Amino acid sequence: MSAIVVENLTQQFPNELRPAVDQVSFEVEDGAFVVLLGPSGCGKTTLLKMINRLYEPTSGRILVGGVDARSLKDTDLRRRIGYAIQQTGLFPHMRIERNIAVVPRLLGWEQPRINARIDELLDLVGLPRAYRMRYPRQLSGGEQQRVGLARALAADPAIMLMDEPFGAIDAITRTRLQDELAGIQRKLRKTIMFVTHDVEEALRLADKIIIMRAGTIVQYDTPLNIITRPRDKFVRDLTGADDMLRRLSLISVRDALAMRGHNNGLAATNGAAPPATLSPDENLRDALSQLLRAGTKSLPVVDPSGKQLGALSFEDLRALLANTEAVAGYSDPIRTEHRVPAERTENQPA
Amino acid sequence: MSSKTMSGRFGRLLALGMLLALVLSACGGSASSAPIKVGSKDFSEEFIVGEMYALMLENEGFKVERKHNLGGTPVAQAAIIKGDIDLYPEYTSTGLLTVLKKAPIADPAQILATVKSEYEKQFKLTWLTPSPFNDTNGLAVTQATADKYGIKTYSDLAAKAAELRFGGPAEFAEREDGIKGLAKTYGGFVPKELKQLGTGPLRYDALKNGDIDVVVVFTTDARIASDKLVVLQDDKTFYPIYNIAPVVRQDTLQSNPKIADALNKLAPLLTDDVIAGLNAQVDIEGKEFAVVAKAFLDSAGLLKK
Amino acid sequence: MKLLVESYQYFLENQARFWQALGQHLTLSMTALAISMLVGVPLGIWISRRARIAELVINGFGALRLVPSLAILFLALPYLGTGFRPALFALTVLAFPPVLINTYAGIHNVDRAVVEAARGMGMEPNQVLRQIELPIAFPAMIAGIRTAAVEVIASATLAAFIGGGGLGDFITRGFALYEPRIMLVGALPVALLALVSEAALASLQRRFDVVSA
Repeated sequence: MSAIVVENLTQQFPNELRPAVDQVSFEVEDGAFVVLLGPSGCGKTTLLKMINRLYEPTSGRILVGGVDARSLKDTDLRRRIGYAIQQTGLFPHMRIERNIAVVPRLLGWEQPRINARIDELLDLVGLPRAYRMRYPRQLSGGEQQRVGLARALAADPAIMLMDEPFGAIDAITRTRLQDELAGIQRKLRKTIMFVTHDVEEALRLADKIIIMRAGTIVQYDTPLNIITRPRDKFVRDLTGADDMLRRLSLISVRDALAMRGHNNGLAATNGAAPPATLSPDENLRDALSQLLRAGTKSLPVVDPSGKQLGALSFEDLRALLANTEAVAGYSDPIRTEHRVPAERTENQPA
Repeated sequence: MSSKTMSGRFGRLLALGMLLALVLSACGGSASSAPIKVGSKDFSEEFIVGEMYALMLENEGFKVERKHNLGGTPVAQAAIIKGDIDLYPEYTSTGLLTVLKKAPIADPAQILATVKSEYEKQFKLTWLTPSPFNDTNGLAVTQATADKYGIKTYSDLAAKAAELRFGGPAEFAEREDGIKGLAKTYGGFVPKELKQLGTGPLRYDALKNGDIDVVVVFTTDARIASDKLVVLQDDKTFYPIYNIAPVVRQDTLQSNPKIADALNKLAPLLTDDVIAGLNAQVDIEGKEFAVVAKAFLDSAGLLKK
Repeated sequence: MKLLVESYQYFLENQARFWQALGQHLTLSMTALAISMLVGVPLGIWISRRARIAELVINGFGALRLVPSLAILFLALPYLGTGFRPALFALTVLAFPPVLINTYAGIHNVDRAVVEAARGMGMEPNQVLRQIELPIAFPAMIAGIRTAAVEVIASATLAAFIGGGGLGDFITRGFALYEPRIMLVGALPVALLALVSEAALASLQRRFDVVSA
């Protein structure tokens, strides 16, 4: 069942020449992490804010959990959707615990339940429980963003809307937060709509990406499909589809072994310990880096329990890339049509 | 020409110019070059009389500087002693009671003699010829109040004071000829309230509005008649006679003896009727006091033109 | 020093009148402050939502601040008579702009992100106002009241000019009689009152200031 269904949604602000969002339609599956990606002014934030009715659509329909968003009171709708923004917007006059407790209190939870939940959330986002009594100004930017995340998750909503939450964080912390978010998502499997203009971030986090330009959806697909089959020059340039290393980063070692099909190449080990091993969960770009460092033609793939699953070589990588090119139909002529056709773009996953 | 010669010439020219200016200013009119500073206290009658003094002096050829509305008696007194002013109009009994802090005297001639000799002795100030009109302190009420509380005299008022709200100048509470003196002579006189309302029209407005019941008046105030007020009878004659006269610094008078001639010429013309009429023009008709003063002197033929 | 002793003596001799004057002074000041808060705070909140009206109102009252209180006092006399009423009017006019302008600024300066987060989380508009905007704006509002309080306590001495009583009576009487010791009996308590209010409200403001570290 689709958690979010958007039909012909349009937002025309008064005194603006063209609509900010122009007849957009798409569906988001339950538990999917969908990233809205595009340059400034493409309408991604406006679209996001129509989901929780911070902006009311000029026309079109939104179904949230199968229910028309307009049939609910706007504040009731928002209390069921987690919302996290770039500047965090933590309430400076409230301690962390009160910040996190806001929505549960709006929903009338009892205090013991709220207390337990606060502890649970702080553990989840990796903050010490002692932080409950602190004020936002006493926390670093990264810590504040974690609280923002905890606050959005507080009432355990099925859907989360996140508007460039890591945009104001330094690069080092950002990467860590992205990883942690991915980890949390693996655990909780929320339906997340995440806005960003950072392509790297989108490719790392998304199950699927909606690429937007000038208020319309240009392509809606998995990261790998977008890279291997960009719809047009705009998408190709935006995502660096020509960047082979980028492609490699989107494929895991495990998937590569599966795609190769055969399991030869169990490297001959002369009894000595191999210089390095590859983990099945690593992506191929990191694997390439390891291969180069090891200086050998191939490396064994070993899972956490120590069992050897196979071996991967330079040749394998090259062959794989050539394969995806062929599969992707990269040599197809560039389409000039930008609108999403009426049927949903549901491609096979990589 | 070298700059040295230029500046030298210029310097000498400047010195000559300054000397000339000094000499010229030294011979001016029939008086010393310094202007006579005439002051006045803080109500209309003082402004009018003070202005008349100033005009008389100018007519005599003096240069005059005016400092109207100095404040109450103590302020004017301090100013003249310090030399900020040279003369101002003062009331004989005010000098006696408030400045010299002596007991009241009934005979006006004796009041004058006393204040004159004491002022000369203590302050190096003197008194010129006083005018005939009597402006004493009074207590007035509306006819309605008089009827309601049955008061006609100060004795009546002394008894009923606790039920009534008084309003008057700020110093009325402290001056010997204020509430304290009245209490001493009549007993009683502990008002329900004593509001400070200055020496201007405000106290009359307050009475009209009903904010106070009894107003402290000067008996030549124009608004007594126009507001149809009843001035109560001073049955124990607490209030003496107050005649206005110029109080002058002796040193100023010595350097400019013509001051006395000029002001004494004016003195006898200010009678009760005259002053009442002048007060009315300023307080009721709203004319400028300087205009009223000049008009009177003109009509009396005192100004030579 | 001798002056202070004389002042104290005068105070001792006139205690009844002093306490009465003090009472009048405080009544006048507190009433003016109360009215300005009762009207100024809600108005400040109201205009914080309406940018164009806000500009008009703020500029208007900003200009009003330039008119000397004494002038307003005398202008009010023909309409309000003498005594307590015109004094209250003039002092309320004095107190109003800082309260209004600071309330407006306090709410206006609340971080937009904070308000957006509050709305996005599902707070009703009046919940956003009461739980988020007002508490955050509170120190600014206190600052406005603090300014108003000090100005009002000092300016309440003007009431003495029009029969409104208060500690200003001692000042005017001292001036009329040319007796500084009497003036001090009025002036010193006024200064003290002003200082105490300033200190008290400043500490209150500090206590609630959670935004700046």
